[in-house]
Amino acid sequence: MWRYLFSRITLFMATSLVMVAVLFMASGQFPVSKAYSLSGVQYPTLEQQQQIDQDYQLHDNQLLQFTAYLRQRLSGNFGISSNSQQEVLEELEAVLPASFELSLFSGFIAVFFGVPIGVLAALGNNKALQRSILAITLTGYSIPVFWLGLTLSMWFGVNLGWLPISGQINLLYEIEPVTGFMLVDTLLSDSSYRIPAFHDALLHLILPAVTLAVLPFTLVVRITRQAILNVMNQTYIRAAEARGLHTAKILLRHVLPNALIPVIKSIGLMLGSFASYGIVVEVIFSWPGVGSWLVSGIYQRDYTVIQAGILAVSLLIIFLSILIDLLHTAINPMSRKELYASN
Amino acid sequence: MPVIVKRWYQQMSLCLSSIVLAACGQVQLPSGLVYCSEGNPESFNPQLVTSGTTIDATSHQIYSRLVNYSQEKAEITPGLATSWQVSDDGLSYVFTLREHVSFHKTRHFTPARDFNADDVLFSFNRIIDPLHPYHLVSRTGYPFFQSIGFADLIGYIEKVNDYQVIFHLTRKDASFLSNLATDFAVVLSAEYGYQLLAQGTPEDIDYYAVGTGPFQLSQYVKNEYIRFKKNPVYWGPTVEIDQLVFDITPRSTARIAKLITGDCSVSALPKAGELAVLDQHKDIIIDAKPGLNVAFWAFNTQKPPLDDVRVRRALAHAIDKNNILDVVYNDTAVEATGVLPPASWAYSKNLSPNEYNPEKAKVLLHQAGVSNLSINVWAMPVARIYNPSALKTAELIQADLARIGVKLNIISYDWSVFTQKLASSNYDSVLIGWNADNSDPDNFFTPLLSCAALASNNNRSRWCNKDFEHLLTQAQSVSTQPERKAFYQSAEAIISDQVPLVTIAHAKKVVLKKSNITAMQIRPYGGISFAKTTQAIEGTE
Repeated sequence: MWRYLFSRITLFMATSLVMVAVLFMASGQFPVSKAYSLSGVQYPTLEQQQQIDQDYQLHDNQLLQFTAYLRQRLSGNFGISSNSQQEVLEELEAVLPASFELSLFSGFIAVFFGVPIGVLAALGNNKALQRSILAITLTGYSIPVFWLGLTLSMWFGVNLGWLPISGQINLLYEIEPVTGFMLVDTLLSDSSYRIPAFHDALLHLILPAVTLAVLPFTLVVRITRQAILNVMNQTYIRAAEARGLHTAKILLRHVLPNALIPVIKSIGLMLGSFASYGIVVEVIFSWPGVGSWLVSGIYQRDYTVIQAGILAVSLLIIFLSILIDLLHTAINPMSRKELYASN
Repeated sequence: MPVIVKRWYQQMSLCLSSIVLAACGQVQLPSGLVYCSEGNPESFNPQLVTSGTTIDATSHQIYSRLVNYSQEKAEITPGLATSWQVSDDGLSYVFTLREHVSFHKTRHFTPARDFNADDVLFSFNRIIDPLHPYHLVSRTGYPFFQSIGFADLIGYIEKVNDYQVIFHLTRKDASFLSNLATDFAVVLSAEYGYQLLAQGTPEDIDYYAVGTGPFQLSQYVKNEYIRFKKNPVYWGPTVEIDQLVFDITPRSTARIAKLITGDCSVSALPKAGELAVLDQHKDIIIDAKPGLNVAFWAFNTQKPPLDDVRVRRALAHAIDKNNILDVVYNDTAVEATGVLPPASWAYSKNLSPNEYNPEKAKVLLHQAGVSNLSINVWAMPVARIYNPSALKTAELIQADLARIGVKLNIISYDWSVFTQKLASSNYDSVLIGWNADNSDPDNFFTPLLSCAALASNNNRSRWCNKDFEHLLTQAQSVSTQPERKAFYQSAEAIISDQVPLVTIAHAKKVVLKKSNITAMQIRPYGGISFAKTTQAIEGTE
């Protein structure tokens, strides 16, 4: 297992290095001077120019420039945003938690509702119900997220006026950021309107989270169903039934743990599209996360922001896929066996 | 169905309903007002900019001016100056200043003394005196003041005592008081300025702003919000709003949606086509007033073939303004025949407008010996009060010009890049406009088309005409309205004849607000003000 862990960490390092290299080459292609695209300082003074040249070794060859670039980025120097004149790292730290909050909440919705409905679709007695679950999930899977987001905000926001469709919280609540998670921060704040603020933040979260949850939800339902049908055909299930175990017990002890392994794997595969859907959802609902930050950076040709945004999102995806890979191996006896057999 | 699933569903529905119950419970918002604004301010000092977005966020919120202009009384009213006298020769203005006015106490600054004459000298010398320690702190210069030649106009400013200052002018200028009443002529704190200078961070004066206005700046998060707190020791009438938040929402649809869902109470710059949605929401009021603004198509008169007046006249005859009013403005604007809008006191119907006449245009082009003409037009990417969609306007003009055999290429950049590039580029023509800062008619001429404006890049036509310039000076040197009106009418005639620009429309100024917002006035010129706004407490849901 340790050896496997080590190989995965190496893989993470290597993939990230390639990623950074691609970014470095891309930033050389921006239609501005290299010093500007790397540091974000558009009109540098003489000292600043010298400092930038020195930091990024702009007079040396490409390889040295790349190592200098790597060194700067690893030490947390992402340059400044040419638009806001603030440190890009600071801005990134401000927007990351909001994105985490949204994706965690959507992921939670997807699994919390997806797994039981998948079980129902596999084991329920009602054929019509099963078919309609399948039909609905297929529909949900095919709906483009931008259309869904706009439609939901049209229905629930504009026409019915039930739910807010923009932003994280009503701005009259003055919430001091502690964790960056609005739901947590509202509860942590010591103001008198703690609870109303929490309600308000929750209401703001519902529509974007539901929109973003639709894709993983439909996948989780379909894969859970498929996996359970597979597992139910296994001989050990028949053996358990023969021993006279209660259905609930069979389901909890024998079916679900085995059926969830492919679900975890598919979640890992879904991360990329989940992230790009997240960006679209953030823009539609003006959610102040990495996605809308990145998109506004692209619109305003804020080169340092574009680099940092892409780097953050892609590193996260690489990291999480490898983490899920590890998790998958750790809980799956089959792949563990393969691992040791290959040793 | 497996029991486990059933049990799970029971628990789930219980849990969900409790969340929904909790969420739908009565929510009492903290007191305050949220305004959905359209963009980020460039700075927090209106002296340095001409952009309406920045003016809205700063001028009437954070700062006060020496004098104000009252729309109802149609006269200059006291601000930080309680009274003023003009000498007989019109060359010196004596201002008596208000006592016991305190500057904001913020995280960065605690005022040790009240507002006095030093602050006035500090604020205005910063603009006119190149040796002032803060003069060069502004990277953008002082565009409004440069375009009206303010530094040349003022000889010097004299401090008589702590509560009296004299402005000595080099020539008579009837629009001087009006210019002091504009949103740009705010008063900064000298004490704060010198404190920052000692700390070595002078540029903070335009960012962590300190003023004497009804609200003080509390927090600014770019792309998200600006938070203001009520100034507890405001010198004017008591401010009713405890907290004012500018919710920065660049998309017009998002602003309307936020207004409907109650995330904001007042919203700016709606697109005319989107107003129909509001019919089903009775609690939202559309407040429209004729505005002091003009949208125009300016030609670069220094670049051939547009340096030929016949070509410019031909282009002016070629465009169908009624079509633009219909499509772009949804008939919420009036056609512009001259630069001055009907809401200005110096307005009178232009006698010889360049009417829509494609045949005449073709003849004029033929006379000028121009054929196969191809020019570019720069169109703003964002909605402004005077033109909700410059890109659409450009497309309509493109179609009109195709009819007389002229090819038009449309060029557009992101807004912040656009204004920057406009100053340095060799464009043929640009679709832009002007929103007046005060009610003085001079505001439509000197900042836009004078030779001084040419130097500060505000003269988009790059046009400098001696007769025109002479008329403006004469109009400034007389003080009665009928006399001045006559001069401005002659100036309009020169513009019609020389066509440095084609005026398109005067738009209405529209603000959307919830019905519980009262006493909020929309002024036809300048930025928005929340000082007198009151908000009825909403009943419980």
